[in-house]
Amino acid sequence: MFTRTLVALLVLTGLHLVKAQECRLELKGVVIDFHDAQPLELAQIYVVQLQKTFSSKSDGSYIITGLCPGNYELKISHFDCESKTLSLNLQESMVRDITLEHHVNELQEVQVLADVHDDHNSSQSATRLDQESINRFSGGTLGDALESVHGVNALKTGSAVVKPIIHGLYGSRVSIVNDGLRQQDQEWGVEHAPNIDQNTAGNIQVIKGASALRYGGDAIGGTIVLEPNRVLAKDTLNGRLIMQGQTNGRGGSLTGTLNRFRKSGWFQQATLTYKRLGDFEAPDYILSNTGNQTAAANLKIGYKKFEYGASLKYSYYQASLGILRASHIGNASDLVSSINSRTPLVINDFTYDIAAPRQDVNHHGLQAQLFKRFASAGKLEVDYSFQFNNRKEFDIRRGERSGQASLDIDLSTHQMASVFRWDAMEKLNLETGLDGMFQINQPNPETGIRRLIPDYEAYRLGAFTSGIYRFNSSWILDAGLRYDLYHIDAQKFYLQSRWEDLEYDRLYPQFEVRQEGNQILTNPNFDYHLLAFTTGIQYIFDEHYDLSMNLSSANRAPNPSELFSDGLHHALATIELGRLDLEREQSYKINTVFHLNKKGFDAEINPHLNLINNFIQLVPTGLETTTRGAFPVYRYRQTNAILYGVDLSARYNFYKQSDSPTNLNTNVLAASIGSQFSYNHGNERDTDRPLIDMPAPQLRTSGTLYGLFNTALQIGLTHEWVFKQDRFPDYDYEVFVPNDQGGQDLRTVEISKSPDAYQLVHLEMGLPIGAKNSQPRAQVFLRINNVFDRSYRNYLNRQRFYVDELGRDIQLQLILNI
Amino acid sequence: MKKNIFKLAMIFVGAISLTACGDDDNPMVINEEEVITTVEYTLTNTADANDVVVLRSIDADGEGPNDPIQTVSGDLTANADYEGSIRFLNETENPAENITEEVRDEADEHEVFYITNLSSLQITKTDTDDNNNPLGLFTDVTTGAAGMGNLTIVLRHEPNKPNDNTLAGAGGETDVQVVFEVAIQ
Repeated sequence: MFTRTLVALLVLTGLHLVKAQECRLELKGVVIDFHDAQPLELAQIYVVQLQKTFSSKSDGSYIITGLCPGNYELKISHFDCESKTLSLNLQESMVRDITLEHHVNELQEVQVLADVHDDHNSSQSATRLDQESINRFSGGTLGDALESVHGVNALKTGSAVVKPIIHGLYGSRVSIVNDGLRQQDQEWGVEHAPNIDQNTAGNIQVIKGASALRYGGDAIGGTIVLEPNRVLAKDTLNGRLIMQGQTNGRGGSLTGTLNRFRKSGWFQQATLTYKRLGDFEAPDYILSNTGNQTAAANLKIGYKKFEYGASLKYSYYQASLGILRASHIGNASDLVSSINSRTPLVINDFTYDIAAPRQDVNHHGLQAQLFKRFASAGKLEVDYSFQFNNRKEFDIRRGERSGQASLDIDLSTHQMASVFRWDAMEKLNLETGLDGMFQINQPNPETGIRRLIPDYEAYRLGAFTSGIYRFNSSWILDAGLRYDLYHIDAQKFYLQSRWEDLEYDRLYPQFEVRQEGNQILTNPNFDYHLLAFTTGIQYIFDEHYDLSMNLSSANRAPNPSELFSDGLHHALATIELGRLDLEREQSYKINTVFHLNKKGFDAEINPHLNLINNFIQLVPTGLETTTRGAFPVYRYRQTNAILYGVDLSARYNFYKQSDSPTNLNTNVLAASIGSQFSYNHGNERDTDRPLIDMPAPQLRTSGTLYGLFNTALQIGLTHEWVFKQDRFPDYDYEVFVPNDQGGQDLRTVEISKSPDAYQLVHLEMGLPIGAKNSQPRAQVFLRINNVFDRSYRNYLNRQRFYVDELGRDIQLQLILNI
Repeated sequence: MKKNIFKLAMIFVGAISLTACGDDDNPMVINEEEVITTVEYTLTNTADANDVVVLRSIDADGEGPNDPIQTVSGDLTANADYEGSIRFLNETENPAENITEEVRDEADEHEVFYITNLSSLQITKTDTDDNNNPLGLFTDVTTGAAGMGNLTIVLRHEPNKPNDNTLAGAGGETDVQVVFEVAIQ
């Protein structure tokens, strides 16, 4: 009894003391969208202890004043959002940003910025492409859209095969995640573009480092995450139709998206895309056989409630891509003539036909997703996907084989992932998961050409845990750990002479199975243990400044191409040889991001450093002579590399945030200017030799005027300045070229040097028409790329030896929002 | 619960994989169908059927690391006329595939070039394609004074036709490029 009285007394005293304290504490922050960090207006914040509701302003900010120290429970709700409960212990005034899963935001017009600095909930360096930026590239490729992000470049083969490069790294070092699971589409080849229709994405996040452990630990370059359109919890039908036509290629694209949502939770989503282009044109000539055609479909059906949901998706992507006729080369002497001739050796009349050499790719994906939320614990997600990828490459061949593919590979991949997100704790968010992958690669033996990539089976098992800890409103700490076991088991025929020349008969006698003619069947199989970790810290000075630093370390197993490739590449007249004794790559990357956003000025500085041990690269090792003549031999070699660089971006808006012309779609005269700069430096640490294919420094400056002529017309001008890459390894070699006098000349094959710097100007005009649900009913865009029809060559285009890049291109685009 | 789902999934994946890779354990060997291992240029003296010179280049492993081996059966007789015929073979296949037939079938897309720095050696193409442009599978060879030099034989795929009978003018892709040392006695 006595104790109880005492407790009661103490509590009363306590309460009294609290009361006696000054109740002048403030809780403020911004309510933002969980998905894309857009501020949410009119979010309701109900403070249980006060029994009072506060709401956020147009910029998402809220402020609750006159609070006493103590525990508070907040219930945050917003129209069409999943409500959220938050417990806080308030001892002093606090800044607390609240994220909600918001569904209606996509109906709003979004900022005209090419990228949106990511939501500040971890230390990783990330940039997000929003719907409007994706729409801009409706007729292009995923790689084209990604190239607009600072720090991302594109490695091209012509104009239709575009691979993203993040901070100087590409291919297997960059993983692409589509709707939660990794895209498996033979990304190992330099001429293999991602088989994804970017029009299906609601937004695309680019993570510049290996910090996205959920999606695998081996993305030492970075991860590209495509997220689908969000599911709304109300009866509605929305979508858009984008029609686009362009003069260069004399074709265009059509893409339509339709989303149907029911309050009951059922939803259906569909995207269909078709694109057809003929031969592209450089300012001075037609780029013969560069036409392409793409068809894609994405169908999803699902049921989503707050507590649980499930969905099933089927996606299909088909593309036929013409490869520049003049880039198909017989031997090293032909290459000399092609390089020395400043115009391509084959120029035909314009056509829509796509002849050999060409690529035909087909990608089917079937994906099932389930999730369930557990009250006061978190959310469990289980995803399964089956992907089937077929790639055919057609070379110029003789006789009845001319219609037969030279390369025809089926890649089938099963993936399964389960992730549990513990998000009920106030300060700590934990994510943990297990995933597995099983893959079968089957090249078609009917091609009549030895397999470039052999038959193999591979599996990967992985587990990860990562967490974000919020000390207080200023400090955020995150860390994660991941382990993968990767096993690959191949069945490969080597030429007996090659097997012995590489000394594999001495090094790997255990892989030999049997001999057939002049070939030997082998069974190489390897296990790789891959460990990755990431840790970082973010300091938020105040609502205007923040600084984060992230360290990530990751291993990458050599890909099948690096291990096994074996054969002649007609694109550069090279013999490429894989290497069985490759070790896993080991990367340590430090990313630092300083971000400022104040009074219309938004800037980011992102220096980065990546040390990679056992960096795998393809280097020439000598010449081999065949009846066709001489070919340089390229072999994979490992070296210790260092990559560093910096991404800078700055933008100033000459208007108040609340008057953002793109948000309000008004005729207010306003302007915005911005600039992006990126620099990348890559070296071999031991020899100081530069790494090949490192993006040259580039500066992109753009300005936009809104509300011209008292209408909603906007005009933007972009200046793109790509410097000359002065740092490249000297891989030139000499070869005897027969001359017409019966002799042979020793000639240098100049494959190393980089093209000159170039500057391009692009123009864009846009006019929104009508308005509905705070977004325009329709938008018309007129874009002129390479306004001055300038001839230039790009160091990161594999066809720079043969032809100039595209000349002027006038595009007209109509977007209808439903 | 999570582990169970995962286990179940792995079993499912395993089951699919077992069925999927049944025929995969024994991949078929692929013989390069298009590779030209052998070039054989036979010169027969029009006045003396016993005077035959064979120039042969064999690269038994095709794209493999070993270089082609050239052999010339003997010297050409000075001041004589020869009939030349050339064959292209793929000897990685058994029996060897005669690729000359494919070249003849697509005569308008091929041409053989003979280039020599031996001024006393004259080689003229005698056959033509459907468009009456030179093909080069058959040749007339005239020898003059004694001497030594090189003979380069090049087969081009999809050259410009007609052309000025130079490699530079022909363009196209090289399918064969071999150099022989020849002597006229």
